[in-house]
Amino acid sequence: MFVESRRQSGLDYEGGTAVGMLRVMSRRGDDRVTWDEQKVLVGDPEAIAAVREAERIFAQERSKGATAFRVDPGQPAQRIEQFDQTAEQIILVPRVVGG
Amino acid sequence: MSWITQALTTLGWIVVAFAISPMVWLIFQPYIKRWSRAERRATDLLRDVLTPEQCRQLLWHGYLEVPSQSVPHRVYRVPRTKGYVQVMEHGRAVMRLCLQPVECLPDADIVVLHKLMIEANEETYLEKANKYFCVDMN
Repeated sequence: MFVESRRQSGLDYEGGTAVGMLRVMSRRGDDRVTWDEQKVLVGDPEAIAAVREAERIFAQERSKGATAFRVDPGQPAQRIEQFDQTAEQIILVPRVVGG
Repeated sequence: MSWITQALTTLGWIVVAFAISPMVWLIFQPYIKRWSRAERRATDLLRDVLTPEQCRQLLWHGYLEVPSQSVPHRVYRVPRTKGYVQVMEHGRAVMRLCLQPVECLPDADIVVLHKLMIEANEETYLEKANKYFCVDMN
């Protein structure tokens, strides 16, 4: 069930392809941008455009006060300040306040 | 005469329907929410972030335990639905925390938010949260 849900969300570990994903939490659930790291390295224009778009969204949300976390399977989450295209998954959470 | 009785009966039923509709909404709201697109997407994210064991804990116990990265023997109990996060030390509740996103999020996303912040940004998390200390009367 765990692996299936990862596949549904676009991450592919078994095939060996490194697909990165940016997930932005919102009232709609989460908005996602994916990119293929391998294709970025060989200069695929579509993959590069996806990374640029992810970078733009990252910067935009950070400027609104969102916090970014790098999440890798089997490891504790890590807070990041800069966009990292080598990350498997980056999650942006909106600004929080005391309730 | 009979039409007056009929009108009053209809009016009575309308009043009854209005009176019970909030209760019906409260009963069915969780089921409706679970099927909304936003909740489904948030549940996908939750499953991606949690281990199968943590998923089971959330389902069966209604909370997720996130160990503190800075204080030994401290565990944060994050509820499945909106509510206070309990801070447990040596198995006893010492504090309740209230922290919420500025944007309205599905319940599953809020669990992920707490988990990520506790694991990777605990200091800021504690700084921002409103704290309610539990007083031991014994």
